[in-house]
Amino acid sequence: MIDKIKELVEKVKDRLEKASSVAEVGDIRVTFLGKSGEYTGLLRGLKDVAPQDRGPIGKLINEGKVRLENMLAEKEAYFRAKEEARKLKSEKIDVTLSKGYKIGSMHPITKVKNEILDTFIGLGFAVKEGPEIETDYYNFQTLGIPADHPARDMQDTFYISENILLRTHTSPMQSRTMLSEKPPIRIVVPGKVYRADDDATHSPIFNQIEGLCVEEGISLAHLKNMLEIFAKSTFTKDTKVRFRPSYFPFTEPSVEVDISCSMCGGKGCRLCKGTGWIEILGAGIVNPVVLENCGIDSKKYSGFAFGFGIDRIAMLKYGIPDIRLMYENDVNFLKQYK
Amino acid sequence: MKAPLSWLKEYVDINVSVDELAAKLVGAGFEIEDVIRPSDDYVNIKAVKILSIEKHPNADKLRICQVDAGERKLQIVTAATNVNVGDVVALALDGSRLPDGTEIKKGELRGVLSEGMFCGGSELKLTGADYPAAGIDGVFIFPNDILPGTDINDFIGTNDVIFDVSVTANRPDCNSIIGIAREIAAVLGQPMKDTFQLPEIAESGDIAPALKVEVRDNELCPRYLAKMLRNVKIGPSDELIKRRLRLMGLRPINNIVDITNYILFDIGQPMHAFDYKDIKGGEIIVRRAMAGETIVTLDGTENHLSDNNLVIANAEIPMAVAGVMGGADSGISDTTDTVVFEFARFKRDNIRKTARTLGLHSDSSARFEKGIDYVSQDLALIRAIQLVTRLQAGTFCKGTVDTLKKAIEPAVINVKKSKIDEILGIDVATDEILRILKSLQFDVIANGDEMTITIPKYREDIVGANDIAEEVIRLYGYDNIVGKPLDGKKLTQGGRNSRDRIVQKVKAFLSGLCGLSETFSYSFISPKFVDDFCLKENDPRRNLIKILNPLSEDVSVMRTTLAPSMFSICASNYSRGVKEASFYEIGKTYFPKALPMTDTAIEKETLILASFGEKVDFYTLKGVVEALADRFNVPVDFVASDETFLHPYRQAFITINGEKVGYIGQLHPAVVKTRKFDPELYISEIDLDAFIDHSKDFLPFVPISKFPSIERDLAFVVGEDVYAGDMLKAIRKVGGEYLRQASIFDVYQGIGVLPGKKSIAFNLLFRKDDGTLDGEEINKTVDAIISAMSDDFGAKLRD
Repeated sequence: MIDKIKELVEKVKDRLEKASSVAEVGDIRVTFLGKSGEYTGLLRGLKDVAPQDRGPIGKLINEGKVRLENMLAEKEAYFRAKEEARKLKSEKIDVTLSKGYKIGSMHPITKVKNEILDTFIGLGFAVKEGPEIETDYYNFQTLGIPADHPARDMQDTFYISENILLRTHTSPMQSRTMLSEKPPIRIVVPGKVYRADDDATHSPIFNQIEGLCVEEGISLAHLKNMLEIFAKSTFTKDTKVRFRPSYFPFTEPSVEVDISCSMCGGKGCRLCKGTGWIEILGAGIVNPVVLENCGIDSKKYSGFAFGFGIDRIAMLKYGIPDIRLMYENDVNFLKQYK
Repeated sequence: MKAPLSWLKEYVDINVSVDELAAKLVGAGFEIEDVIRPSDDYVNIKAVKILSIEKHPNADKLRICQVDAGERKLQIVTAATNVNVGDVVALALDGSRLPDGTEIKKGELRGVLSEGMFCGGSELKLTGADYPAAGIDGVFIFPNDILPGTDINDFIGTNDVIFDVSVTANRPDCNSIIGIAREIAAVLGQPMKDTFQLPEIAESGDIAPALKVEVRDNELCPRYLAKMLRNVKIGPSDELIKRRLRLMGLRPINNIVDITNYILFDIGQPMHAFDYKDIKGGEIIVRRAMAGETIVTLDGTENHLSDNNLVIANAEIPMAVAGVMGGADSGISDTTDTVVFEFARFKRDNIRKTARTLGLHSDSSARFEKGIDYVSQDLALIRAIQLVTRLQAGTFCKGTVDTLKKAIEPAVINVKKSKIDEILGIDVATDEILRILKSLQFDVIANGDEMTITIPKYREDIVGANDIAEEVIRLYGYDNIVGKPLDGKKLTQGGRNSRDRIVQKVKAFLSGLCGLSETFSYSFISPKFVDDFCLKENDPRRNLIKILNPLSEDVSVMRTTLAPSMFSICASNYSRGVKEASFYEIGKTYFPKALPMTDTAIEKETLILASFGEKVDFYTLKGVVEALADRFNVPVDFVASDETFLHPYRQAFITINGEKVGYIGQLHPAVVKTRKFDPELYISEIDLDAFIDHSKDFLPFVPISKFPSIERDLAFVVGEDVYAGDMLKAIRKVGGEYLRQASIFDVYQGIGVLPGKKSIAFNLLFRKDDGTLDGEEINKTVDAIISAMSDDFGAKLRD
């Protein structure tokens, strides 16, 4: 009996070594351990063993069975893994292929505008918009530019009627806001503006952002700090801000604001014409006349205001050479700004 | 304002380099547009003395001259006939350049070497008024005392530097040499020289009986000062005046006219010189023109005047449009014997209006428009007396006629030093403030914090503390301002309003996986679109707001729809070879509240979507609209429509709760044909304000049902004209509270379906949130749906 066990175990071992698939392993299991399998037959033959030997022999048979089961399972797992690997291999794909996808784009003016507005929103500025078709009163008169004032020559205006025009700047929202709200006021006003001008550096329509801060004790130093934050967040952390004297009827003192050149960092290059500086906006302390025009006590309150072209900032930021590209809407241009 | 360095030096010592001076002026608020070196126009042109003349061996009309060019002798071949041995003439040497850009090289003329070219007046851009020798046809002959080798720039005074200074609108006083000089004096810390010494003059007779001036509108003419000059000898000006006028780009004419032009630049005071014989009745009347009056001005145009125009008249007719231009008949002529000089101040906005309405512009009007102060007339008068005396141009009558009865006192303001610091945000020492203000000719008395400041009369722009602060900082240096955070100020709530937030989310949604590119187009378009689009007579989009002064007809009306711009964008991309693209734009459309416009417009935020390409159809774009509506929980509907510019059978109105908010459809082939564009173009335009009004970005939480749902598929056969969407609406209506989703999953025509019919298959999903559905109840609902389909659409359940 013991020899028989050994013999069968050896036989299974032998057969398993020759097996080549999960199915063959299954066949071997049936042949030896099935209901009428050869090894199963050993248990049936136990009744012919002397009663005193049945215990130890039975134990040997069971141990042999466990061994066989383990051998079968091990072999089966081996073939299963092999088959799984083969199946996976048969499912191999070319991952370098693509079915394509659709993705849109956002106009650079929108992208830059949103980024700039986010900076000012973080500084407590509320975003406001105003009418593009404005009255002469808000566009000029409340800002200290009466009819036939020489400063009217500074902007070529599109007129709808004698007193209605396309706003030449976002500044009318300064007076509209000051007439309806009390200080502290901090607003930024994005929007389209219009000038009767059309060449490589001027578009008859462009986008501005106006900023206004009115409170007690506002100074040029506060303005400079705000614009430094704006310049650093819009361009690079080491961007510098420079004031130069200028004139706008609605600010006094008025300044032109330069930033250190975004291309060369201030060393001087083609973009900044060797000066290291690029003019980006006009600003100043709100002219007390404007405050008074809007019913704000200029003895108590003061403010700063600034205005710049988003288009120009976008051109600098992205290196766009011609403002007209922004309005030609060539899809090859638009798709660059996702 | 052009300012030659040599002229500026008459007022102030300039001991810095050109670059340094330019930088200082920029720092003080005067942009330098250009630094012009007029000698660049005359390169290597010299005075040479003719030593000998001989005939050219090969040409009758040419002669060969040997000349002394100072350091060396040259041989010149010339065709000029006015050359004589011993003359000193102008020669363009080898490698020279003339004012018109012509470069001269040596070369052979008919086999004989010529080392340059003799120049005449016209080649040197000079006329007989500059030098008599420049007026003749031939070579320019210098006076005999000019040494051979002298550079022509030294002779005509072009060895100079001209600053082209940009003067801001608040500084009309700087549209003059003296004004720029005052700024230079301030930035260099130099004193202004006194150039206004009255010379000793012999006067003849009194002005009073001969000339009267009556100003009938003191508001438009607050001051009229006249000075009379007798025994006038019209002749050329002296070399200095002619040189300076040339540097300013003006031709010398004669002594009297030159003096008025000279003073216009020098002092910034426009003058006028009348021939006394034209002042009929010996009386100058400054008055508004009478309706219907006309005047032919110096430029030859006839101007029709109105009572908005101020004129300088004699007893009968206007002699000049005040401050703008003189009449053609009242100018100075060679026979003028007595001259009346005008020094006036006119109201700037009236001059501006007159110049614009008459289309007349001059150096005078340009200055009067910007504003002339009360001091310039006095300075100009002194300068005129000096120049007339120097040129011996005539004899002045005693006295002046001046309508300003009392001298204008300079303005005095009180400003606190602390206020200046508050405006600037830095502390500028009182001594420094005083030094700066004094350098700008302000008189200041400081008493503690208080400063009493007397403002120069020519600085009418200075009215308060802010102006003083600006004067201080522009000379103190803006670089001294150090940024200071808004510490200790009141908090404000920043951010966008809720409407704007939705707009940004709409943009992000469409620019994302919806795959649309955002465009930016002009707000004004061609009015032609209303006809191209065949808009109906009563279509509100025909209510166009027109621009009075458009850049061109193509951009002359404010758009009432974004569709024309969008079509144009698609067409121009297509013409560049783009075969498929999808775009969107959010922009305003503009409608008048009333025409003509007296108020702002109705500006509607509008969204337009467009798509074209091989795989694009109506449903592609509709999917975008539906996705957008779904994203913002807007209940949109698509209903029958009749837009004239859309394909009649491929279009729908978009509605929200029955209210029309837009359209979607294929652009009509007839419209498409107006441009070179072949594909089908699908567009949709939506009133974004209405869309946002109905949008909900945040909906309350809905519990998720734990109970199973029941799905049913139903296919109906209906007539092919039946709208599936209408059936879907009816199903939703009948489907009861447990019908959670209803969708179309197949539309079929062909084998198995009769011609003229189509099969539409619906997928219905029922669910109860708080319990298991009763199958029987659902069966009843489905039966109700089937019978509704049959009743409303004649639909038969497909087997």
